[in-house]
Amino acid sequence: MHIDIRQTLFRNPWFVIGFTLALLFTAMTLLGPPLAPFDPWDISFTPISPPSARHFLGTNDGGQDIFSELLFAVRNTFAFGLLSGLVALGLGVMIGLAAGWFRGFVDMILMRIADVLLAIPAIMILILTAALFRPSPWLLALILSGLMWPSISKAIRAQTLTLRESLHVRAAAQIGGGNWYIIRRHLMPEMFPLYLVGFAAKARIAMFMEAALAFLGLFDPSRKSLGMMIGYALKYYYMDIWWNWLLPPIVCLSLLIMTVTFLAISLERVLDSRLKDALGA
Amino acid sequence: MSLEIKDLNVIYQDGIHCVQALEDVSLTVAPGKCLALVGESGSGKTTVAKACMGLLPSNAARQGQIKLDRQRIDQLGESLLNEIRWERIGMVFQHGAANLNPVHQIINQVAEPLIQHRSLSRREAHALAGEALVQMGLKEGYHSRYPHQLSGGEAQRALLAMAMILDPELIILDEPTSALDALSKSFVTGSINRAKERGKAILLITHDLELVVHVAETVAFLYLGQIMETMPARDIFTQPLHPYTLALGRSYPAMNTTRDLGGIRGDAFYRFVHQHGHNDEAGYRHSHIQVPLSSHKDGHAPPTGCLFQNRCTQTIERCRTEKVDLEAIGDHTVRCIRHGIANLLELKGVSKKYENTVAINAMDLTIKCGEVFCLVGETGSGKTTLAMIAAGVIKPESGSRVFDGRDMDEWMHKGYPSLATQVGVIYQNPAESVSHRFSVFDIVAEALKIHGLSQSREEMHTRVTKALADVHLSTDPAFLGRYAHELNMGAIQRVCLARALVLGPSFLVADEPTSSLDPSVQAKVLKLLLDLQIEMGLTMFFVTHDIGLARKIGDRIGVMLSGRLVETGPAHLILSSPYHRYTQLLIDSVSGISHGSFQPGSDPVEPGGCPFATRCPRATDLCRLTNPQLLERDHRQVACHFPLTSRHPG
Repeated sequence: MHIDIRQTLFRNPWFVIGFTLALLFTAMTLLGPPLAPFDPWDISFTPISPPSARHFLGTNDGGQDIFSELLFAVRNTFAFGLLSGLVALGLGVMIGLAAGWFRGFVDMILMRIADVLLAIPAIMILILTAALFRPSPWLLALILSGLMWPSISKAIRAQTLTLRESLHVRAAAQIGGGNWYIIRRHLMPEMFPLYLVGFAAKARIAMFMEAALAFLGLFDPSRKSLGMMIGYALKYYYMDIWWNWLLPPIVCLSLLIMTVTFLAISLERVLDSRLKDALGA
Repeated sequence: MSLEIKDLNVIYQDGIHCVQALEDVSLTVAPGKCLALVGESGSGKTTVAKACMGLLPSNAARQGQIKLDRQRIDQLGESLLNEIRWERIGMVFQHGAANLNPVHQIINQVAEPLIQHRSLSRREAHALAGEALVQMGLKEGYHSRYPHQLSGGEAQRALLAMAMILDPELIILDEPTSALDALSKSFVTGSINRAKERGKAILLITHDLELVVHVAETVAFLYLGQIMETMPARDIFTQPLHPYTLALGRSYPAMNTTRDLGGIRGDAFYRFVHQHGHNDEAGYRHSHIQVPLSSHKDGHAPPTGCLFQNRCTQTIERCRTEKVDLEAIGDHTVRCIRHGIANLLELKGVSKKYENTVAINAMDLTIKCGEVFCLVGETGSGKTTLAMIAAGVIKPESGSRVFDGRDMDEWMHKGYPSLATQVGVIYQNPAESVSHRFSVFDIVAEALKIHGLSQSREEMHTRVTKALADVHLSTDPAFLGRYAHELNMGAIQRVCLARALVLGPSFLVADEPTSSLDPSVQAKVLKLLLDLQIEMGLTMFFVTHDIGLARKIGDRIGVMLSGRLVETGPAHLILSSPYHRYTQLLIDSVSGISHGSFQPGSDPVEPGGCPFATRCPRATDLCRLTNPQLLERDHRQVACHFPLTSRHPG
């Protein structure tokens, strides 16, 4: 297993593209506000003007600078995806390890909960929650994570069940290693590839979900989001704005999803190709 | 005539330091019987002989009684003693020819007691002496030779002739065979047995356990001046009760034992009795023991507890503090606070099922402290399952496990870590038994980290490097940082061994530890394992499918078939004459003797029948219907309705 993973990864074209895009989006997220030429909420410009030297992508129907709007929207969508993905991964790993290591009653309870959640469509819950309670986007991200962990935990649990029978884990238990010690030193490091793949899959879903909810107008209208931009642009599709207003958010959303997809594919291939099926993603 | 020694104490004085050579030694030698006195060098064997002859040096202080025919001889004056010497007590001193006068012909030396004690003429004395020498197998041409013209064996026989020339009732033989070849030895053995038949009482002092078995009725084992065990001589190799006796038996190259020579771990104490100034300059006399290689000050400990404690395989806290007396156990007497060799592990009625397959079927097994128990059997017989049950890795479905006198399941429930430090395990596949993310250092240090046994990083480093050095592995930083996949199999297995031993366990379970190694590496690892077993006083449970291997390392062997033990006992007995036909089949298969009709793997049998019934040439309806019990037979246990009793039954 001790191959130089870094070298192998950078020879993989999927990874190189994914990695470059990830760097770009991270930069946009972190440096968005200072980079933006105008305040995206500033409505003092001429509405629906074509791109110019002043407004790279022109302005929208409210007279806001589309480029600035785009920077803020990417930031929101990307952060929403990362948060959801990380929390879902954390929950999935903890629950999967607990179920696989302790087995018995703990396993039964946790996995039945997972089965129930798998059977419920997440988008429905999110739409209802967003429409009825109008929670903040961050709370919504957490709710989404709460719905997405089961498939990660199923994969982690399966791997834990295999690992717990492996000789070095049994040897560590024989020496006197406690549950926490074995989970920390013997199980968690072994499943590193699963974390990357699981996180990527969930972050992808979360970003798309965020765009979808915003498209449906379920978020605070003042919050910039790629989905919301697409939604507003579509209202004016009969005008000649599709290339400067509609296309940029669509391309950004696609690229964001592609980023994590590319990273997931390359990491899967390089780290452990057998895990693809286990994740079901 | 009998010799009776009672509470004999001898102290050699040497300035203010005195050495305690004998402590409360009591022995009886009856007419027509031979008592053997066995022990390591320095245990006081020759001192006993010298005390009987009244030949102790002038710096020896003696207490206790020595009676010859109920008459005390220990207080006689020199002239009275001289009448007894040679006349009533004959002695052959150790070191053979060195005891003969180099400037006299041997016939003169043999005739000398006759002339001195019986006042015979020179001619008569020579005639009798010549006869005696001929009886000892020295032809006439040899009689006028000088000692330097004789070989060691001839000189020894001349000395025997001399000792018996006056027909004494008691003969003391000090190492009569130590320098002799096998043929001379068997001649001496014959002479001793003939003397016994003539009603002589014989006190035999020797290292030679084989000789003891052949000539002595009783044997006493001396250690640092104390008798540790007395027992019937025939039981030496089969039923030792004291760990010292077991270790001596294991150290002796007997023809019928098969295991590679062991030894006794560590070095003996020195026993001092001395007088020196205390704070107030007033000398006071006290005794203490000194630990080998330590300075006088460090080793200045009063002799509490058992003298064998530092070399024993079953030392407990009480051994260090309580005085131990001889106690009678059967026809043995043993000086051990634990009443002889203790059981380290007792399995009673353990069984284990996997789905529908019975892996272990209500088995009993006892493993004694300090022994190497080898479990052999074909694949699928449940060996690994049993080993893992013994190690506490697998929980049996029923039955009880007692480890070191404590219920194992209860122990595991209440505080597994303290049990884990007592049991080391080596697994069949060394490469898989270590995490590929761990370096050599991490692997060995894991146990120390888990148990929090090292206060500092330096201390952990010291302990890890010591453990690695013990298994003859490199301790340089580059090696410590290597990963398992960078090492060869032999090295990984030794890393695993270091991991198993780093906590200083008392019990080592080794499941086929060498099956993945090639023969040369296997030989090295095994040699290492056995050396460590001796030096650390380990008890070992060794699982192997290779009966040839079991023969070289096992003290006892257990043969497993279909989750049952079919034969168990001392390795040399079972391998030289198996009683169970399955054992016979295993041995024959190794030797290349084919039994065409036998198929590997056991066939389904009636639930109640003997598991070997379908493959056994002698199976009857009884075998097919009832499973034989494991019964005691000639120092072993065998489960067969019709056991073999000789090597090649009709």
